[in-house]
Amino acid sequence: MAGGTFIAFLVVVSIIGPYFVQDPTVYHSSLIDPTFSRPIGPWGGISLAHPFGVEPITGRDMLARIVDGAPYSLLIGFLSTVLAVVIGVFFGIIAGYFGGWTDSVIARAMDVFLAFPLLVFAIALVGVIPNSAFGMSGNQLRVALLVFVIGFFAWPYMGRIIRGQVLSLREREFVDAARSIGARGPYILFRELLPNLVGPILVYATLFIPTNILFEAALDYLGVGLIPPTPSWGQMLSSAVSNGFYYIDPMFMIIPGLAIFITVMAFNLFGDGLRDAFDPRTR
Amino acid sequence: MAALALAACGGGATSTTGAAGPTGGSTGGSTGATGGNAVANAGVTGIANPSDHKGGTLTFASSSTPDSLDGGNEYYAWTLNFNRLYQTPLLTYKSSPGGAGTTMVPGIATALGQVSPDGLTWTYHIKKGLKYEDGSAVTAGDVKYAVERTYDRGVLANGPSYFPQLLADPTYKGPYKDPNGDLTSIVVPDPYTIQFHLLAPFPDFDYVVGAFGQTAPVPKAKDTGAKYELHPMSTGPYMFQSYQVNKQAVLVKNPNWTQNEDTEARQNVDKVILTLNVNADDIDNRLISGDLDVDSAGSGVQAAARAKVLGNPSLLKNSDNGFGNREWFIYLDSKVAPLTNVACRQAIEYAANKTDLQTAYGGPVAGGDIASTLLLPGMGGYSAFDLYNAKSQPGGDVANAKKALTTCGKANGFTTGLAYRSDRPKEVAGAQALQQALKAVGINVQLHGYPAGNYYGNFAGAPTFMHKNNIGIAFGGWAPDWPDGYGMLWALTSGNSIVPTGNANIGELNDPAVNKLFKDVASPKLTLDQRSAMYGQVDKLSMQQAVILPEVYAKVLIYRPPTVTNAYIDNAWGMYNYAVLGKSS
Repeated sequence: MAGGTFIAFLVVVSIIGPYFVQDPTVYHSSLIDPTFSRPIGPWGGISLAHPFGVEPITGRDMLARIVDGAPYSLLIGFLSTVLAVVIGVFFGIIAGYFGGWTDSVIARAMDVFLAFPLLVFAIALVGVIPNSAFGMSGNQLRVALLVFVIGFFAWPYMGRIIRGQVLSLREREFVDAARSIGARGPYILFRELLPNLVGPILVYATLFIPTNILFEAALDYLGVGLIPPTPSWGQMLSSAVSNGFYYIDPMFMIIPGLAIFITVMAFNLFGDGLRDAFDPRTR
Repeated sequence: MAALALAACGGGATSTTGAAGPTGGSTGGSTGATGGNAVANAGVTGIANPSDHKGGTLTFASSSTPDSLDGGNEYYAWTLNFNRLYQTPLLTYKSSPGGAGTTMVPGIATALGQVSPDGLTWTYHIKKGLKYEDGSAVTAGDVKYAVERTYDRGVLANGPSYFPQLLADPTYKGPYKDPNGDLTSIVVPDPYTIQFHLLAPFPDFDYVVGAFGQTAPVPKAKDTGAKYELHPMSTGPYMFQSYQVNKQAVLVKNPNWTQNEDTEARQNVDKVILTLNVNADDIDNRLISGDLDVDSAGSGVQAAARAKVLGNPSLLKNSDNGFGNREWFIYLDSKVAPLTNVACRQAIEYAANKTDLQTAYGGPVAGGDIASTLLLPGMGGYSAFDLYNAKSQPGGDVANAKKALTTCGKANGFTTGLAYRSDRPKEVAGAQALQQALKAVGINVQLHGYPAGNYYGNFAGAPTFMHKNNIGIAFGGWAPDWPDGYGMLWALTSGNSIVPTGNANIGELNDPAVNKLFKDVASPKLTLDQRSAMYGQVDKLSMQQAVILPEVYAKVLIYRPPTVTNAYIDNAWGMYNYAVLGKSS
């Protein structure tokens, strides 16, 4: 439950944290050594005023940037998982229960989505969509695009799992019993099978969220993430590596890296805990 | 502490390097100002490790690939520089540190161009007895053919287009599409004379001929069009032994080359190797360990190596921090409201935090000195005027910015878009710095990042795109096609240079006084000093119109292993002159 506690903490920080930290866009050029473009002082310029140090080149407060970046990582990770789960569960149940021709079509569709070059598609999509579309613009649109890209292409993972679960569940006695009293497809699907799938769905969803957070970080790395100056953990990490700051100011890489690592770890622990809780053998 | 001293003298060195105008003169040579280490910046104030030692292998590496190795198809500074090792045009830059390095001297021609009194005909004579690598003779007809083949943009897509612009018959399609045709504006009355007929006088025609590789002779029988770059016929000290595209080119000594063929190049080493697609940080590590001689891009070391070099005195003494032959700046589009009012543009000029912008580009050492003009220091006509207090108030002049906003009727600020190249970290940092500084005076800037490959083609360089998307600010930079006012200013400020795609006059300046100056400067009756003064006026007028916000005069921090000889930062290229390098062992 350490995982769960940390997640709750993270959510709280995301919601109210930005009001307590400094403005993450304010430059503090006096804290930067211009010859090297790095913070003056050891450990990335850590001081009482800047507990996590400052960013190279700009001198922006790192604590503020981490806290301000947290809601974006969590939101995109969570929403894309919801999208993947909804689509995946829907198609997984149908494929598993009806079998035959329906199953074949859906399974092949899953293969196509799994084989899709996702990073390339993400880069292309972000380049093609104009600055305002679907009634949104700027970062809102960017978040929506990221959620769509990550979630829409992740559904086969959930779909396959659910399909497998349904394949085993549909042979069980309670399904036969429901059929014998005249229940038809939709009733069985959504009133009999689905409640029994809640366990696996929850567990795998919590395991998905960290994967999607990492994926969003990877997209930031490629430059198709959030629009600057919005802070984003992935973008800070990518900047540290590709601009060589890891050499002259290692804290600039360590701090966002740790943030991502701890978040992912927390979700993994939470998911493991959930799985243990739902596993009939350990009940 | 050596680093801080270097930062201080980095500014000092700039004022001596290239401070002389293009008419010659050497640098001040203030070797004393190097923080107590007399050998650092040896290639900035003079020639580092001068030596006539012959022998050895010179190794180059590039983090990507060249636009081409065919002289007729090149536009990057480094490939044009490298081209001098194996191709020689009619004229070439003088190989000399300081301002003298920006002048044209004969290459395969006997002398600079002889121009007719009406300024419309330029005549060059070819030296007799020059040979290609296979012993066959070089003739004027080969020079004419070399220029003719550049007319076919379908085959040779890179390179400047001054010849079709300046010579008569611009509709000539090139020898590949029109094998029986003839570029009638170039006449070869005998095998050693070539004449160019211009549509209008153009006093810089020697630069058109010599600053690029388009007049390096090409024997028609050996021309293979787009494949010619695999083995160009050499008229330089080295010739191709092999070239695996995207991998490596190996050059060896050209036995049929004589010093007379090109007085400005040297045949110091036995072999030259150019390796492509090497990781940029890896290139820096190899330079420092001595396994590599030159980073061919010539734009200096990356951030990690910069820290290593500046922090270690034994590495510092092998580095040169000098003139980068480029200015980084920000365009202000005068056709996008409310920047249509010059006072609104001036508000941006005042409000920008020049120090933060300089830091975004790498600070005073790796970025450059804060700029306030369009002409680079050392160019004819340059004067150090500063209309918007960039140097006296580098943190930004908020008071004057607010006054300018009131004058243009936007006392509470306004909103506009800003375009930048999202794969260029310096511009990503600079865009955020400008956004932050303008926020302080109420100007809200929305950032739009675009890929560098299409930036000039589809985005910032397409005026209709800028208007449609309300983008008034765009990041950019310019290295002059040749080191004078025309090469620096025409494409940026002339009303006649605005084009629908690939536009470099992103400020869309169409000022009658500036246009008249560009028209009048072509008169054959003017002296070089008179022309320089006119370019100086163009600089001042353009800055008064505030269509460009200068950021830095670029500097490069180049590291060389101590075994490399004759290295100096050449004012024509903003990097080492590759034609004279050698090895001491």
